[in-house]
Formats: sequence, C-alpha cells, structure tokens
Amino acid sequence: MSDPSPLAGDFFSLLARHHASPLRVAASPDAPVQTQATTVFAFHFADGVLMGGDRRATAGNVIVTDCVDKVLELDAMSLLAIAGVPATAFEMARVLQTSFEYYRRSQLQSLSLPAKVRALARLLRENLPMTMQGIGVVMPVFAGVDQTVSPPAPQIYFYDPLGAQFHAVGYAASGSGAGTIRSVLSFQDRYGQPRPAQMNLRQAVQFALRLLMIASEFDSATGGVNPDAHTFATIKVLRGSGVETVSAEKQAELLKS
Amino acid sequence: MTEEPYRWLEAIGNRREYVREQLKGGSPVFAASLPDGILLLGVGTGHSKVFELFDRHAIAGLGHPADIEKIRQAAIDAAHLEAFNRAPEDVSLRRLVGFGLSPQLKTNFEQIFSAPFLVECLLAEVGAEPNQDLIARLHFDGAFQLHTKGVVVAASQSEAESAAQTWLNQTLAGKADRNGIVEALLEAWWCVTENKPFGDGLPSDAERRDGWRKAVNGRSIEVGWLVRKSNRRARYEELTPALSSL
Repeated sequence: MSDPSPLAGDFFSLLARHHASPLRVAASPDAPVQTQATTVFAFHFADGVLMGGDRRATAGNVIVTDCVDKVLELDAMSLLAIAGVPATAFEMARVLQTSFEYYRRSQLQSLSLPAKVRALARLLRENLPMTMQGIGVVMPVFAGVDQTVSPPAPQIYFYDPLGAQFHAVGYAASGSGAGTIRSVLSFQDRYGQPRPAQMNLRQAVQFALRLLMIASEFDSATGGVNPDAHTFATIKVLRGSGVETVSAEKQAELLKS
Repeated sequence: MTEEPYRWLEAIGNRREYVREQLKGGSPVFAASLPDGILLLGVGTGHSKVFELFDRHAIAGLGHPADIEKIRQAAIDAAHLEAFNRAPEDVSLRRLVGFGLSPQLKTNFEQIFSAPFLVECLLAEVGAEPNQDLIARLHFDGAFQLHTKGVVVAASQSEAESAAQTWLNQTLAGKADRNGIVEALLEAWWCVTENKPFGDGLPSDAERRDGWRKAVNGRSIEVGWLVRKSNRRARYEELTPALSSL
C-alpha cells in the first residue's frame, strides 16, 4: 500500500512518512499535572512587540543554570517564549523552526500567521499525553507578524497546555512568575505614563528588565536581572520588518540611561 | 537472448540523444564563488531557475520546469530531514549530491520504460571561507563534478558550456565586484544562447553588452546570493531587484 499523499510543504507529514516524529508518546492516565518555573512575557510597544524571559532553569529547588535562552527565534518573522519542561519546549521550537523554513523553501512563500499559530497549537495537542503525565507540560507565548495588513503588524498569542490559542491584545505572560508581572503589566497598561504600547525601545527594555526583577523577588525559580553581576535577560524585539536581539551589553546601556 | 545487452545499450543511447535534444533550447545557468559568497544566475521566461535549498545551499537549473521542481523538492526534503534528525551543520552538498540526488537520477535514467529527467543543474554550498565553497555540476544521468572555486556553468551543449566556463574563469579571475560579475555572466549567457564563439571571433565588449540587454527583453534575470558572513542561519538572498542599476 502506498503512503497517503502528504500535505504540500508540511514538515510534519514528511516526519511521519519517515517515522521521525519526536513528540508522540503513549498516555499514562494517572499522572499529575506539574508546572515548571520560569517567567516569560511579551507586550506591545511603539515599534512592535518586545518578548523577554529570565535565564534560569531549575529542577525542584536546585538551580541548574542561569544561562538558558527561553526566547527563541523561529524564523525571521516569529518568536517563541517557552515556559514549562525544557526538553519538550525546546523540541517543539526545533520542530517549528524546521517546519516554517521547510514550508517557505518548498512552497516559495512564507507560512501565514494563523497557520504558524495553529502549528504550535497542534504540537501542544499532540503533547497531551506528556502533559497528563506531568512531565511534559509546555505553556508558550508566541509572537508573529501579520503580513496581511499594511504595514505588517506583530501580534502576540498565548496558549493553554492543551493547545487552545488566545490572541493577546496588549500583553501575555507565562511561567511561575507570570502572575506577578501580569499584575504589573495590567497596572501599567491601565494607569502607566507611558503605557507599554506608547513606550519607545529604551523605555520598553527598561520596563522589561524591571518586570523580571520584580518577578524574581516573588518567585525563587525566576532568575532575576542583576546589572552588578552582568546578569541580564533574553530580550528580542519583533517589528514588521523582522526580529532584533537586544544584547546584554545593550540592555546594560539602556538600563543606565 | 545474446542480443539483449545490445538492445539495452541502444535504448540508453537513444534516451541520451532524446534528453539532449529536449534540452537543446535550455537557458544556461551560472554559479560563481566570490570572496563574500556564491552568486547564482539564471535567465528565465516565466519559470524560476534559481532557488534556495537550505541554510547555506542553493540550486540553479535548466530543463523541464516539472523536473527541476522534482529535483529541488527532493533536495529540500533530504536537507531538512537531515538537519532535523542530526543538525543543520550536517547538511553537506557532497552528501546531498553524491548519496542522494545522483543515484536517484542515474536509476531513473537507466529505467528505460519511465520518462527521463530533463534537467541539468548546479548546486552550491557556501563555506565559512572561500576555499570551503563547493559547487556541484549535476547532469541528467546522475553524473556530477565538484568544483571548489571559480565559475561553473550548466548549459545544454557541453562544448559551449566548457568554452563559457573557461572564458569566464579567465575574465573574472581575481574580480569581486558583484555587478561586474553579473554583467560578465550575462554576456556569457548571451554568447551561449546565440551560439557565439568564445575563442576567435568572440563578439566585442560592446556587442556582448548590447546583445544580452536586447536578449533579456521579456525575460527575467534571477540572481541568488549565498552570503558568507551573516548572523542569520539562512544565507540565501534574492538579488534580482538590485539589478536595476545594470
């Protein structure tokens, strides 16, 4: 019997044809759901979307490292901030990176923003058995550029562990420190001068770094920002024209100014 | 029984002749290894001839668009699977051509009851340094040659291809100006398509310049650029709009 026809440009189909899908496992019915420790967030500012995250990875009460990048560039027009079990989250990012580029190269056009948003939802749904076992829960924040409007507009989406996708109007946060900074973001969005959407790059980076400082005060699993020890966050900016990484040096400079 | 091998040889000979006849009007494509990257050029009539394959890889081909598409798709599938299952750094042109595309093309060519691939192509891999560049000249029957420097040409007629390649490598030796190189490639393209000689009787500079400019009317010039140094993983850029200054 011949293989079913694959969907044009669909990297998942290609993986399935070669029996190389990495995220399919059998379910265990009685495992508890366990969330993991981190703080990642994204908010709209004047130039586009700023996405940031702390750099700490923990296992229980042990700090594994303070050098993890949780904000990942999937392609030239989309970013993923990962919260949850790193093994699964990084694998999802890798699948999406290859999948988006595979589609662009094979079909000679970029995947649309809704398709990218659903591709991540599909991975989360396929990860349900791992989520139910409590060893693979992932709650990411995604940012991509809507190319159907003029000028192209960056958008933010967040997900629940089962793959439901939600469009964030102003901001989104995930991870164990998210509760704290969501309150700050909400306050700033309502009463702030300037509001996040009005901030320029310098103000937005300063605000992002302060958000992480606050999150780390209330959540021991969130690595903070310590300029004296040259410990900064991972910060990337998504504009209509593409992605820019704000380096630790630039963060230090912007925090001082 | 004893005459069967001869029938097969005859069939293969006929097939080779048929493919060459079909490819006769094909528009040649070029790849040039330069200090800052690899430049690929093709002149098409509606169908694209130059494509990105993977992070550091590109292809340019002539022949039937459907066959170019099959080769392109096979290379993209193989490169992305390799990158996903191993690492992007493990995708190499030598393996892609030597162990993937070439055996497939040879098998297809020798299956005399199936349609042969009507395609001639160039595949390029940009290295960290110019001496690590690789350009593969892949033929319709699976034969291929690997080049590590200079300009490589793929044309339907082997004599014209060889003459154009020799002339370009002499003319462009030590040059790095991208616009100048594109201009020389287009002059060579015009000479090949118009059956002009590259030795004695080579048209003058002015004739070549006017010649290609007139000949590309109604066609599209495609230039792909694999940039050597970049912060991005994907090194391929389309340079076609930049040609307006020519």
